[in-house]
Amino acid sequence: MQKQDEASVENSILLPMLKRAISFLSDDLGVAVISHSQEITSPNKIELRKNTAMIGTGGSVQVLITMGYDDVLLEKLMKAFLEGEEVDEEEIDEVRESVSSEVINTIVGNALVNPIDGTALSITPPILIYEAKSLFKNKSSRIAAATISTEFGDMLLTVVGPKESFVNALNFKEL
Amino acid sequence: MLNILIVDDSLIIRKNMYKYLLNLGHNVAGEAKTGVQAVAECKKLKPDLITMDITMPDMDGITAVKKIREFDKNVTIIMVTSHGQEDMVASALKAGAKGYILKPVNEEKVAKSIANIFPQYKIETDDDELLDD
Repeated sequence: MQKQDEASVENSILLPMLKRAISFLSDDLGVAVISHSQEITSPNKIELRKNTAMIGTGGSVQVLITMGYDDVLLEKLMKAFLEGEEVDEEEIDEVRESVSSEVINTIVGNALVNPIDGTALSITPPILIYEAKSLFKNKSSRIAAATISTEFGDMLLTVVGPKESFVNALNFKEL
Repeated sequence: MLNILIVDDSLIIRKNMYKYLLNLGHNVAGEAKTGVQAVAECKKLKPDLITMDITMPDMDGITAVKKIREFDKNVTIIMVTSHGQEDMVASALKAGAKGYILKPVNEEKVAKSIANIFPQYKIETDDDELLDD
């Protein structure tokens, strides 16, 4: 039963996000994904990247989604978003943060539908996580994670939520 | 030339939208980062068109559309959104928005979206299929 629940979480939340992230990186931003070396795990602890953005979903499936980027990858994403335009030195941190937020916003917004009824999941505005080094699972929560390797470094995707709410909700749908 | 208000909490989206709109020959009358600012700027600037993000702090884009429609029935509002937010787009259209642009945003999508509402600004492109996204 536990295995099935984990598969539900991964199939309904993590895998669509992973698929959309790969296509967004390669097709829209020109960042080649080296391989599908993503590792889907359900760890007790996640080491967060220095550059991490987070979004929450609302409605019947309430989870937190984080997306962390290696430094070089985030710089590359910023350049892709800027489309060759130069940015003033005093503006560069804010641009970097907005790119970090916009990447997660676009990927999550385009990837997730409610696994119960197929409707859209509402999402919160992205927030940036500073200074946090890791996420720990407690017994009432779950973490599912995947890593995408690109030529410019890794992107770490995690889905975190209260175990009961997203396992119970996801159990309404046959996968 | 349209006078346009850009509403988005993301700096990079505002910067890119600004560039696209100037390239398309329009005037950017102003920018707003939240729905609350959008309502205030709309009252002040009286734009012809607003590009409106949906998910924003303070006040979301749908609520902002409703607030704007309370005092301005004419301004054209185009939502900027994602595939997964169709329900919210439907709510925004019901509230008075006229169209939407799906993220990731690029100049061609913006041009097509404007031309759908203002046919006089239609721009010939080599790839109409792309604009149908």
